[in-house]
Amino acid sequence: MMAIRELKVCLLGDTGVGKSSIVCRFVQDHFDHNISPTIGASFMTKTVPCGNELHKFLIWDTAGQERFHSLAPMYYRGSAAAVIVYDITKQDSFHTLKKWVKELKEHGPENIVMAIAGNKCDLSDIREVPTKDAKEYAETIGAIVVETSAKNAINIEELFQGISRQIPPLETHENGNSGTIKLGKQTTQMTRRCC
Amino acid sequence: MERILCFMRHKIPTKERRKENLPVEVETSQWSGDMSITDVASSLLRCEETFSACLARINSVVLQPLLQSGSFEQAKFFLLLNDHFQVIWDLTEENYRALKQTVTETETASVHNLYLAWKADLFLDAYIQYFSTFASCVVVQGFEHAARNKSEVWKSHKPSLQQLLEDFSPDTSNAVSLHTVLHKPFQDHLQQYSALFSKLEEIKTLGPDKEAIVNASRQFAKLRSFISQALDEAGLTRNLWKSLSHKFTDVLCTPERRLLEDSRNLSIFSSTGRSDRVLLFHDILVLIQGSSLQSFDLKLVWVDETSKETGNHTLRVRTPEEEFFLLAKEPESRAVWKWKLSQAVRQALNGKRDFPLWSHTGEGRAPPRCRFSTFTFRADGRLKGAAYDGEWRLGKPHGKGQLTWPDGRNYVGDFKDGLEHGFGICLVPHASKDRYDCYKCHWREGKMNGYGICEYGNEMVYKGYFRDNLRQGFGILDNTSSAKTPFKYTGHWENDKKSGYGVWDDKEREERYIGMWHEDQRHGTGIVVMQSGVCYRRAFHLDKMVGSGILLLEDDSIYEGNFTRDLMFVGKGKLTFPNGFTLEGTFTNKSSQGLHTEGILNTSGGEPDDTITKLQLGQREFPVEQRWEGLFSQFLEFVSSGGQGETEESFMGFHVQTSKELRKSQEYLYCDRETEEAPKNLLDELLEHQETEALQSYLEEALKSSLHPLGKLLKALASAFQATYGGIGANKHLLAMAQEEVKHYAKEVWEFYQGLRDLALKVNGQPLLEDTNQSDLNGPALILPLILPSFYPELLMLYMLYHEKEDDLYCQGIVDLSLFPDLKLLEFLDVQKHFWPLKDLTLTTNQRRSLIKDRCFLSATECLQKMITTVDPREKLDILQKTYEEIEKTTNRVLEKEYSLTMDDLLPMLMYVVTRASIQHLGAEIHLIRDLMDPANEGGKHDFLLTALESCYELIQKEFRLHQNWEVLQSS
Ligand SMILES: Nc1nc2c(ncn2[C@@H]2O[C@H](COP(=O)(O)OP(=O)(O)OP(=O)(O)O)[C@@H](O)[C@H]2O)c(=O)[nH]1
Ligand SMILES: [Mg+2]
Repeated sequence: MMAIRELKVCLLGDTGVGKSSIVCRFVQDHFDHNISPTIGASFMTKTVPCGNELHKFLIWDTAGQERFHSLAPMYYRGSAAAVIVYDITKQDSFHTLKKWVKELKEHGPENIVMAIAGNKCDLSDIREVPTKDAKEYAETIGAIVVETSAKNAINIEELFQGISRQIPPLETHENGNSGTIKLGKQTTQMTRRCC
Repeated sequence: MERILCFMRHKIPTKERRKENLPVEVETSQWSGDMSITDVASSLLRCEETFSACLARINSVVLQPLLQSGSFEQAKFFLLLNDHFQVIWDLTEENYRALKQTVTETETASVHNLYLAWKADLFLDAYIQYFSTFASCVVVQGFEHAARNKSEVWKSHKPSLQQLLEDFSPDTSNAVSLHTVLHKPFQDHLQQYSALFSKLEEIKTLGPDKEAIVNASRQFAKLRSFISQALDEAGLTRNLWKSLSHKFTDVLCTPERRLLEDSRNLSIFSSTGRSDRVLLFHDILVLIQGSSLQSFDLKLVWVDETSKETGNHTLRVRTPEEEFFLLAKEPESRAVWKWKLSQAVRQALNGKRDFPLWSHTGEGRAPPRCRFSTFTFRADGRLKGAAYDGEWRLGKPHGKGQLTWPDGRNYVGDFKDGLEHGFGICLVPHASKDRYDCYKCHWREGKMNGYGICEYGNEMVYKGYFRDNLRQGFGILDNTSSAKTPFKYTGHWENDKKSGYGVWDDKEREERYIGMWHEDQRHGTGIVVMQSGVCYRRAFHLDKMVGSGILLLEDDSIYEGNFTRDLMFVGKGKLTFPNGFTLEGTFTNKSSQGLHTEGILNTSGGEPDDTITKLQLGQREFPVEQRWEGLFSQFLEFVSSGGQGETEESFMGFHVQTSKELRKSQEYLYCDRETEEAPKNLLDELLEHQETEALQSYLEEALKSSLHPLGKLLKALASAFQATYGGIGANKHLLAMAQEEVKHYAKEVWEFYQGLRDLALKVNGQPLLEDTNQSDLNGPALILPLILPSFYPELLMLYMLYHEKEDDLYCQGIVDLSLFPDLKLLEFLDVQKHFWPLKDLTLTTNQRRSLIKDRCFLSATECLQKMITTVDPREKLDILQKTYEEIEKTTNRVLEKEYSLTMDDLLPMLMYVVTRASIQHLGAEIHLIRDLMDPANEGGKHDFLLTALESCYELIQKEFRLHQNWEVLQSS
């Protein structure tokens, strides 16, 4: 039996950059029709194979409106990975992305995997953020980076595969167990306040 | 008896008449050939006629003169003997009369006409009585005394005596003549009865009556052996009394006592020193050594020959205080002694002799090993002077019984092999008269071991565990609220003293100490919580506070340093105010002038934060696994001891419902406990419910039951929890400790369940489960929601206190928002217009749509409100999910299509619902759910929804902080 690992992933980024679109594309655009629990368009799951493990992504979409930004810590606590999205046609959104990265470094879970998605790459003719800028920035912070198009289903799968690969494999002593393994559990406990 | 009396009344004239004219003649008819019942009846008639005449003569010649001759030693036995004599005479007369009637009036007599056969019992009884008294007369040498008395009387009577006795010679002493004349005619007569019976038995036409005849015949045969045995015993006994010195006879001799065997007759020796003689009486066994004697009540004598080391010449005799051997010269005499001893013991226990005294019927019937008797211990030792009343086995108190010591100490309860063992109640009187300590406890080998309740004479009550008579392990000591200094201690004991982790309520000071103890003193780290909400952590040394501590004040200022029990600051310390300012200095307290200090006030403390409000005590100081160790270990020990039903109570406690039931024991009754045992098939049942769902419902039932071990553990843990966190213990600084403790309980309950399960498997000879099979199942997570109801009130209270500030802010927000009509609220919360359920705003006359309240998202609101009615985090999360579904339903209805809500859509609507639901302590609820939900939920949809709810909670607080917006809206 293959081990299933549950991975909490949260999406961050400016409003309108296409976070919800990316999630929808990733979750629904696949032949795998096993019924996955969903809370509207904001919480979805999808299981993908990775090596000899199965990764079940528990995807937490966040509210994009400015007034909800202060709630973000509640959403990224306990996350194994964060997908931070910017719009390649909007320089501002790339700026916001950097702020998110900074916040995650400071307040986010330790060892969180960060993936940067430059969305709307189908609109490269009105591009404002050069690919190179994103690549360089990602390197400095040790993050995955990929340009995506939710509209045209470009690099969406790859984005999540990239995340899967970054997740450290199970420790050997845990291999004997079957069933569900929680990731980011320790970090959850650390960030939680007193109890 | 009544019958006999009535015969006597109408027969006296006949008796008088016969005295004169009937010749003395012993019936000597020869039986020949076949006879009819009528023939037998006429023979019997003649026989009775003759006997009656004989009795008349004995009466006039011997008995009456004897009785008239006045008083002499043992005369009372002759009076008694005369009574029984008259009864026999009357019976004989009556029999005669009836027979005469039969013979003259009926052609053919039937068995029913034979009074002797039909009413054999009356005859038997009369003869038994007569000869028992006669035997006593023999034993007390009554005939000798009577003969000596006024010997001249006897001179005149000698001829009459002579007439009565065939083989009478002038040399025969008066005593012997008396003796003979008073028994021989009776025995002869009984012999004739027997002869007649054997004729009767030969009659072929008896039909169904035959059985009655055979029975009666047998009874008369037994009577005859009884008489000869009784006379033999009496003779032997009399001879013994004659041969023994007064020293012994004064102690031993009673008219009723009979000698059954004598080592002079059948040689046997006692192993207890140099023994001269062993005497077996019908009620006691006597060892004579030189001039001293020891006697043992046969009811408490056990004899056996099983002991290996003693060979086949010896018998082992066990008595309450002595155990010895009887050594015979050869196996045969041992066998006789053994048989006689056990028959004698059995008859002594029956309270009456066999009939006849010795017979084959008694053979093979050994006396019971378990008996009931009373005994007073004399030998030095623990039991000296104590009286025991109860069940015995092999010389030892065993079973149920009562021991009473001369000093008033009293134990009622179970015994095993001579020691208190099982459940028992012990009363120990105090020096002052009407006070005593009452222990209701489990005992092992003479000492209190296991669970018990002790009500001390000084009004204190201890409920907990004992070891070797001392309080040890977990226990609760309490005194009545009417006491001068009311208190309650819940915690650990060692050597009868408070030691280890324990909680002490000082009800007078309204303080609770939670912490370490040593030899009845606070010693080590402790936390003190006070009624006011103030609490502090200090190190204690021999009941004194030492070093500096940390004091958390009501206004959330914090003091680190030295302070007194009355919270006066003394010496160096640092006071941190809620606004972040600190005051560091040396404090003094002069009662009249208040607080004095010289120090530095630091106002650069920066932003006030909630580290003080949220500061948690106790987790590090008291590792959770060690807190109630003594309680839990008893349950594990129950498992490792094999989980026997009868030991259950001693490990897991018993429960006396009311103080009234406690008092009952003072009337020396067995304690009225709830003794119903858990179902016998406990372990089997446990094995039948291992599949996850069955297990869940099984555990649920078991934990609810006050009889099931799991339920008992839960009950005990709940009492410890309440003692710590209930009442004064509701202090926000203890939340982490309490929450951690509840989670740990879940682990312990699960561990106990596993212990029981493994035991069940072992008992059933099944292999233990391998861990891998079970790894899908998170036991503690399964248990936690099931046990949570037992801790919920205290725990929720702690959460409410901990989140009080946020909940207050949130509540103010809710209160303000709740004033808004629906449309205004939807607008204020930025719910997108196209989601507004305007259709739900049905109007009645003279209502304006903009003023309608509490109509939108009503189904979701009502659903969310149910959250506070549940305890189980799983149920609360389900309610939350349903609330979400209701919101979704409403929006789908409004949009008239399936629509997936994004977070941006959802949050404003959820905020609307939360506002309308107005749950007071939402912060407490949210955090309780998050802390106690199954960790498997983390990251999942329930976690997500809970986070959404938390978001709303935070937003409502924050929006309230940004007050301006509100005013704008309210004024508009
Ligand atoms: N051309 C193009 N448009 C896209 C792409 N992804 C998203 N969009 C559009 O961008 C707009 C915003 O997309 P969302 O997915 O709602 O963006 P979001 O980040 O979830 O926005 P918030 O929820 O407000 O934070 C929508 O109109 C999408 O159709 C893309 O890859 N290419
Ligand atoms: Mg979105």
